[in-house]
Amino acid sequence: MSGSYLARRLSSALFTIALIVVVNFILFRAMPGSPERVILRGTPNVTPAQLEAARERWGLNDPIFPISFDAGGVVVSGDNQFFKFVGATVAGDLGYSFVARGQTVGDVLAQRIWPTVILFGLGELVAIVLGLALGAYSGWRRGGRVDLVGNGVSLVLYSTPYFLLGMALLLVFATGLRWFPTFGMLTAGVTYPDLGARLVDFLAHLALPLATVSLGLVGQYAIVMRSSIVETLSDDYVTTARGMGLSEGRILRHHALPNALLPTVSLIAINLGYVVAGAITVEVVFNWPGLGTLAVEALTARDYPVLQGVFLLLSVSVVLANLVADLIYGLLDPRVRT
Amino acid sequence: MTAADAAFGAPAPRGLAGSPVGLLVRLVRRPEGAFGALILAVFAVLAIAPDLFVGPLQTAVTAPGTRLSPPSAEFPLGTDELRRDMLNLTVHGARVSMAIGLLATLVTVFIGAVVGIVAGFLGGRVDAVLMRITDFFLVIPTFVLALILTPIIRDLVGSGSAQVLGIRMTLIVIVIVIGITSWSSTARIIRSQTLSLKERAFVDRARVIGAGGGHIMRRHILPNVINLIVANAVLVFAGAVLTETTLSFVGLGDPFQPSWGQLLEASRTVGAPGLGAWWYFVPPGVCIVLVVFAFTLVGGALDDLLNPKRRGRR
Amino acid sequence: MTTGVPPGGSTGAPIGAPIGAPTGAPTGEGRPRTLPKQAVPGAPLLEVEDLRTYFALGSDTVRAVDGVSFRLDAGEALGIAGESGCGKTTTALSLVRLLPGNARIAGGAVRLYGIDLAAKSDTAIRRYRWREISIVFQGAMNALNPVTRVRDQVAEPIVERLGVGRRAANRRAGDLLELVGIPRARGSAYPHELSGGMRQRAMIAMALACDPAIVIGDEPTTALDVMVQAQILDLLERLRERLGLSLILITHDLSVIAETCDRVLIMYAGRVAEEGPVGEVFTRPRHPYTQKLLAAFPNIRADRRALDVIPGSPPDLRTPPPGCRFAPRCPAAMAVCSEVVPPEVRFADGVRVACHLYPDGSSGEPVPVGSTMSVART
Repeated sequence: MSGSYLARRLSSALFTIALIVVVNFILFRAMPGSPERVILRGTPNVTPAQLEAARERWGLNDPIFPISFDAGGVVVSGDNQFFKFVGATVAGDLGYSFVARGQTVGDVLAQRIWPTVILFGLGELVAIVLGLALGAYSGWRRGGRVDLVGNGVSLVLYSTPYFLLGMALLLVFATGLRWFPTFGMLTAGVTYPDLGARLVDFLAHLALPLATVSLGLVGQYAIVMRSSIVETLSDDYVTTARGMGLSEGRILRHHALPNALLPTVSLIAINLGYVVAGAITVEVVFNWPGLGTLAVEALTARDYPVLQGVFLLLSVSVVLANLVADLIYGLLDPRVRT
Repeated sequence: MTAADAAFGAPAPRGLAGSPVGLLVRLVRRPEGAFGALILAVFAVLAIAPDLFVGPLQTAVTAPGTRLSPPSAEFPLGTDELRRDMLNLTVHGARVSMAIGLLATLVTVFIGAVVGIVAGFLGGRVDAVLMRITDFFLVIPTFVLALILTPIIRDLVGSGSAQVLGIRMTLIVIVIVIGITSWSSTARIIRSQTLSLKERAFVDRARVIGAGGGHIMRRHILPNVINLIVANAVLVFAGAVLTETTLSFVGLGDPFQPSWGQLLEASRTVGAPGLGAWWYFVPPGVCIVLVVFAFTLVGGALDDLLNPKRRGRR
Repeated sequence: MTTGVPPGGSTGAPIGAPIGAPTGAPTGEGRPRTLPKQAVPGAPLLEVEDLRTYFALGSDTVRAVDGVSFRLDAGEALGIAGESGCGKTTTALSLVRLLPGNARIAGGAVRLYGIDLAAKSDTAIRRYRWREISIVFQGAMNALNPVTRVRDQVAEPIVERLGVGRRAANRRAGDLLELVGIPRARGSAYPHELSGGMRQRAMIAMALACDPAIVIGDEPTTALDVMVQAQILDLLERLRERLGLSLILITHDLSVIAETCDRVLIMYAGRVAEEGPVGEVFTRPRHPYTQKLLAAFPNIRADRRALDVIPGSPPDLRTPPPGCRFAPRCPAAMAVCSEVVPPEVRFADGVRVACHLYPDGSSGEPVPVGSTMSVART
């Protein structure tokens, strides 16, 4: 992979992250209530001294942006709220939660990040493997039984909001059949004899949310992969491979698939941002204690710093995931390396 | 009419696929297009005149049934926890969901088309800056941004009982938020079409006789991308309905004008899946899936009609 | 209909004569070509008889190839020419049934060493692809897999079809690349890293990978600029001499055929118009279409003159005209032309013509057809 491709993707990702911080700053300023009150809302019995300290700390006595206008003309100043905010964000200081008293946003996020990573990491993995396999097979055997059924199911799944899928699974497999627990990540109030029992309980709780996420994603991945395969199968190099007398299986594996994966990787990456919306609602349906439920709790309590923290964390994660996808694309496609 | 138009008669040749009416005819000739259009027509009728079918929207006060009763002859879709008829709520939900979806689509497509045409036509630095912003919105999880923006904007505009076009302010805010956060893919598509149109002869002719940029964009570019805008709007509509549903589901809907998403939120809050009260969330859920499915079918068919070479969906 | 019998059946080497291995270099052991097991002793290399390939287009049937016959002897080069859409590529792809999904062979026979390939099952025909008949496609940019190194693409059929080990196959791929003028080290390049001419050379190396009996060139030089075209044609010519290849060259460029081929087959609207030795057909064209086609091409044999154009356009092959398919555009059309399909008649000089101007038993003296720019020359 050439340095220039790498540098281009990296600078683009950094630029996007910078824009995310800027947007976060604008949101911070746009929040209802004066900024110092917002900052100190979690703190009991605010004294004027604390208020002043907060104003100083966040530079609220300084201009908002480095460049400001007053009667004397343009003023350029290093002391400004924007720089202070960016400095704090870079240092990992996202302020205090309104609701969880005395806890920093960073602490709150840290408690909730792993459940989300596990649920969505696994969900993506299962969906990518199943979706790409289903899509590739349907496209290869276009018009066959798997294609017709798979395409219909994929389209319906694609049209179904994740949480609705979750509610349906919950109704059937938890309420109806009682195979799985209905909510949470572990059964409340249970002490486990050993780690194994704890793991079993965790997996039982994970099953339905994981199935929801995977099913929600599998449809769109299958659709994308299918059309990509269909397109590559009419490419000239596939005709060449047929002309060579290669078996259909080899043509699929060595010629159609490697090429069909390319647009699929980009589309999966670009869709990650949308997937987050689904992620949030699935967690809500199953009371999965991740960032999604945190976001909705914060939303209900108007805990803006936490909400902003979730936005920052999820956005930066998606940008980084896109960067990883770009690198994978670079590995798969020799044309972008040069 | 300006000199440019007088000199060349019609403002610009109609590109792509003829008139919108011709496009519609060709759409319903395709089986998936006809099927999608049929579903949408049914929901459109429900949305336009819900009172005609199920009477006025029921409230906790006018609710006729008993609490969370399963479907019966009297209430074919059962009742909710406030003793309201689910059929009544679902049909009225069509109106709210479709209206918000439609308005949000208009806002989204408007922003996207303006950004796309301007960026593509002007090119250079304007294009670079606009596309950077577009890519930003394309990559980031816009839904989380919408989560933060919605309460902030509601606080700014104030939420009382003010209404616009018979829609409560809370929901208008949702329309605006969806518009702000979902225009990026439209902008991308329109921009690339504008780029190719810019090279065509009729734009050069207009330029030669001294037509201004704004004039060319409105009279020559826009008519040639309008079909593309329509096709894209159909897909945007599907996305807008989904986004509205999801925003309502996490508690940003309006209980006084319940959309399907709002009904789903209410059913989750009550714990309907856990209680086995499937009739509470299945009717609005099925409606959402049908509408999104129909829009996806129609959008895909339109996409095929307008770009016969590019068969890929999304 | 008279089937094509080429002049003097003894042109090429006898069937089964040793054809040099692609290189004299390390892997070349000069082994004789092993014939397929079912080969009929004494049968000609390739004999196409009354081939019909139809496409389904909605509810219509497009008769893209409608009764084409020809023969190719070992070591011979046959050019197939005609306007785009005349069925020349479809004819060639029909030989190994490399057709799109909506096409089918509706009739006729394709006999390779006497084995009818048209009757083979989809699986069975795979054994003949590339080992017996390989193809150099037009526009190697698209015909090469963009994400695979060129050497690996050349080696793939060697491994997959000949069962040669990976290392030996790579070595042979390197030899083949050198043979076509690509430095061995460039084999690690991806197609996009090569120039158009280099890609076409790589495509030719691929086509030679399994030491095939017949190489089909489907417009192999069309996408290239003139200098590179000349180099590629020169390469094909040299390879043919060195390896004793039998070549079918499909092109709309008559000058390419004039330079490279022994015989030429002129097609019009899915049928053979005229066929015969290049020297005869190009200097004394009989069929009005051949005359017009030659007149439409500049600078054949350095004879510069004004270009002639053929008015009208080829017929719709869903509903072809009942008689001669060229009749609607033919300046010499007679009443019979629009009613009766002209039979193919072979003359003493080895030229076969399907035209009512030259009935069976006639002298076969070319009849120049009306045009201000006369094309009849002696």
